[in-house]
Amino acid sequence: MSADTILEAQGLTMRFLGLVAVNQVSFALARGEILGLIGPNGAGKTTLISLISGTLLPVAGELLFEGRSINGLPPHARAHLGIGRTFQVMKPFPRLSVLENVTVGALFGFGGGEHNRSKAREQARALLDFTGLQHRVDQHADELGGPDRKRLELAKALAMKPKLLLLDEVMAGLTHAEIDEVVEIIKKIRDSGITILVIEHVMRAIRSLSDRIVVLHHGEMIAEGMPDAVLADPRVIEAYLGKRRA
Amino acid sequence: MKGRVALLGLCAVLLALLPLTGDDVLIQYGIDALLFATLAQAWNIIGGFAGYASFGNSSFYGLGTYGTAIAMAQLHLPFWVGLCLGAFLAVVCAVLIGLPILRLRGHYFAIATLGLSATLSAIIANLDISGRNIGLILPLTRNDTMFYELALVLLVAATGTVAWIARSRFGMGLIAIRENEDAAQVMGVNTTLYKVTALVLSAFFTALAGGIHAYWITFIDPASAFDLTLNVRMVIMAMFGGPGTVLGPVIGSFILTFVYQLLASSISTAAALLFGIVIVLAVIFMPRGLWDLAGGLRRLGPRYFLQNIRAHRL
Repeated sequence: MSADTILEAQGLTMRFLGLVAVNQVSFALARGEILGLIGPNGAGKTTLISLISGTLLPVAGELLFEGRSINGLPPHARAHLGIGRTFQVMKPFPRLSVLENVTVGALFGFGGGEHNRSKAREQARALLDFTGLQHRVDQHADELGGPDRKRLELAKALAMKPKLLLLDEVMAGLTHAEIDEVVEIIKKIRDSGITILVIEHVMRAIRSLSDRIVVLHHGEMIAEGMPDAVLADPRVIEAYLGKRRA
Repeated sequence: MKGRVALLGLCAVLLALLPLTGDDVLIQYGIDALLFATLAQAWNIIGGFAGYASFGNSSFYGLGTYGTAIAMAQLHLPFWVGLCLGAFLAVVCAVLIGLPILRLRGHYFAIATLGLSATLSAIIANLDISGRNIGLILPLTRNDTMFYELALVLLVAATGTVAWIARSRFGMGLIAIRENEDAAQVMGVNTTLYKVTALVLSAFFTALAGGIHAYWITFIDPASAFDLTLNVRMVIMAMFGGPGTVLGPVIGSFILTFVYQLLASSISTAAALLFGIVIVLAVIFMPRGLWDLAGGLRRLGPRYFLQNIRAHRL
């Protein structure tokens, strides 16, 4: 494991009642890179993110974060180490304001967070500007529309000051223009020094964002490499479109 | 903010002066109201802030009651030692029970806590030291003013604790757990620690209220000490006032206790029925309690009620 590896998965395996959701997956994330994680529906992408964030425990395999095993750590301890995530099925705090939602991330994230509530609130406010939610500060989270909810998920995770950010379909359901905005935001996040693992179905976005791509299919890693090469790989095309009947 | 604290301080002082009226009935109603407000406020910590509807609080009340009674009636120790023993038993119980059952969410948690009172009541009814199912008689002290002031101090302490929670990082963590526990834990909230701490704080104040009540009333038995309807009243009062707010549960329980006494003294036979109607109307028109009502009326006027009715598809 090289010095600039932030996360390493070795033989990660997850089963649900006999269904193998993730099977013997090994990969490494270099500090500062954007790794795209793609695959058809049900490939195990979200399960993989849940294994890394600690909401699911693997039946086998090892996870190393900054060289130390995090297998036994509960989700909050992983958050304190600097692992932040968003949820594909968004989980806002519905009856709290947008600002309070993001403040929770600042209060509890990396290193246990900023313990002073007014300082945490200021950090949250800055992130709402960054993610384009400044005009929604005082609205309740359950009053937001889809695109703004996606932005809120992102802002909440960023408020944790993560070293590694796991993004689970933050662009699903967005328009082309909104996708371009989010792509720019994610690039800025990477430029600030945060490593990113991104799950996305929008190929245009994944191609322009990712330094490398990993492809999952039926829980197995079937390809890994540069975006153009991976997306041209016959096995990947087959996984998405099925075998050509010639 | 400072004006508000000063106003509250003034209210507390005025309440503290009430025994000077020398009206015994008023003082007794006062003790009852203050203890109930404390119970509602204590429930508010676990139920209102953390969002875990506990029906185990009547058990903590019972343990506080019996801790005090056993210390005084059986071991001949002073009252304050009894209070400490009761609080200690309740806190230990909260930790032991909290660790396994706070893993359950929503209705499952509520159901699991429901069984606790019956279990403890059965144990107590079979122990010699607790007087089996006959109960215990505490030394008689005719000093209602002392009980009144003790109950007031306890209510102020509980409310002060909740005020701190509402402004602290700890409180924000509890609220995050209530709003979405999955999101809270991946954002770094140590959910197990926070939930157990909330239950312990709730148990602590509940047990102290039970201890004061036991000494005041001088006779306790398992059925009255571990009474689930008491727990239901805590929930109703906290919900009526505004769960998850600092003053809602206190104001809610003062108003409901007053309404109940009024009904009971004027039309005693139909009092419970009318009280029930008050609760039903409150749930329909202001499901989030008085506190939300105050804010909602200012914002929306009478449309606030329509909105609530519509939200519940009535």
